[in-house]
Amino acid sequence: MAEPAIVAEGVSKVYPGSRSGAPALDGLSLEVPRGGIYGLIGRNGAGKTTFVRIAATQLAMTSGTLRVLGQDVRTEERAIRARIACVPQESRPLYFLRTEEVVYLYLKMRGMTSADARRRTHDALEELSLLEVRKRLVSRLSGGLRRRTLCAMVLASDADVMFLDEPTTGLDPLARREVWEAVRRASREHRTILLTTHYLDEAEALSGRLALIERGQRRLEGTPAELRARVRYPYRVTLWGDVPRDQLASYGAVSEIEGGFLVFAREPEARELARWALERGLRLSMGPVSLEDIFLEVVGRSIDADAPLAEEGAEA
Amino acid sequence: MSARHRLRSLGTFVLLNGLIPIRTQPLYLVNLLASPLSFLFFLTVVSHGRLIGFGITGGLILTMLSAGTGLQSDLTHYRHDLKFQDVVVASPVEAPVYVAGMALSELVYSIPGLAVFVVLFVVDGFATPTSVAVVVGVLLLVWGFATALAFTLATYFQDVRETFMFSPLISLVLTVLPPVYYPLSYLPGWAQFVARFSPTTYAAALVQGSVGQATVSLSTAAVDWGILGAVTAALFLVAAFKARWKEP
Repeated sequence: MAEPAIVAEGVSKVYPGSRSGAPALDGLSLEVPRGGIYGLIGRNGAGKTTFVRIAATQLAMTSGTLRVLGQDVRTEERAIRARIACVPQESRPLYFLRTEEVVYLYLKMRGMTSADARRRTHDALEELSLLEVRKRLVSRLSGGLRRRTLCAMVLASDADVMFLDEPTTGLDPLARREVWEAVRRASREHRTILLTTHYLDEAEALSGRLALIERGQRRLEGTPAELRARVRYPYRVTLWGDVPRDQLASYGAVSEIEGGFLVFAREPEARELARWALERGLRLSMGPVSLEDIFLEVVGRSIDADAPLAEEGAEA
Repeated sequence: MSARHRLRSLGTFVLLNGLIPIRTQPLYLVNLLASPLSFLFFLTVVSHGRLIGFGITGGLILTMLSAGTGLQSDLTHYRHDLKFQDVVVASPVEAPVYVAGMALSELVYSIPGLAVFVVLFVVDGFATPTSVAVVVGVLLLVWGFATALAFTLATYFQDVRETFMFSPLISLVLTVLPPVYYPLSYLPGWAQFVARFSPTTYAAALVQGSVGQATVSLSTAAVDWGILGAVTAALFLVAAFKARWKEP
């Protein structure tokens, strides 16, 4: 079996000058297999970006060990850097460049020949529907197009491991799906993509495996199906209409939603509840829990809530 | 990265930060010309033309110094506002290639300034084989230490606004107070002692000596070269070991 692309063991990070002294990463261990897309999910400030920055050799860790493609991030940075590429969180392309120049010059900067860079630039721009704006100055692009340009830049590279830190933030649904397709294509070329996101639908749609990070620690790890299997109630049943709440409690965990109730239940209880609801002519929907539901159960909060331990004086 | 790849990277940075921005904003080209020309104008007027030579030699030094120190704003902006340094760090590009490429790109902006002052240098009759060799050597060292200083500072600044504060200070300490635009002998004894702490004092002394604006003995010139070279080497070492390519 091939060596994993990334192996982290007990990685901790306390930012120098942090007033609270709280670790941004607290003994995080992860194994990202080679090839495919690995999703890191968590709230803002949970430690996703800190982990990505350490693995991408941009930030030193406080303790632990981390190997990327078999090389130690502390001592073998140069070997790692030769084989990685990264779209940092909140990064922006140089505004005085044209769209195609952002991609082309990035590839040239990495040492690619002009012919290769030109060909890959064209392919990447086409893949992400940017050909129409290839001659436009970045300063005249919308925020979403700029983000797509950065994705095109990295996906066009020959890197074996790509770090995409919240690559689709600010993109409209259509553009997000274009980025997803490009990311999927890149992963089919036996490349490893570490993707951070707080869009749970994105993590679910793209990631072969994913890890849920909370307060700098890994709380869950596995394929989306494995994560579902680990939660207490793997099914969700939504009921609308005039439903007596006290009769629902025996099926599982009940919470009120607008115009009805949401019940998390095990499979037999979910089926029984569905039958019960249909007999009474209630409108319902039933299915496996979403990643968002799992997140809510594991963390106890929505992914949109900021983490309380966001590290001071540093990017989350 | 092979030597060929490094050269390709280097050329890309020159294009990316030097030539392409001029396409969108040609005024960048006259930016570095403004300060030295102002000094030249001021000196010429107040001295009734007597110090025009100092305005020319000082202008050459200031132009090269600005080409180096100007790097700090660009690097800080790229690092913090655009996260461009993070993109470069997570790539095969090594820090020295990035810095050298960006430094060369800044040199593009100083071409008009250098051209103007080189023409004045020749027209004023300063150009001899010795003075040209001295000026080229001195300007390279000035550019080198200014670049190393700018890179190191840029990796510590937390916001591009900090560079707005530092740039005038650096300019004051390295070009206005030291005898770049006038002979060292104009200063009182204690001030001459203080001026010796600025590397541009030695740069100016060498250039002024080479064109006959000041009398510099061979032994003094050797000491001046030694100090200027040592300062440049020291700042390169500081940049190599203390600059934050990877954040702590």
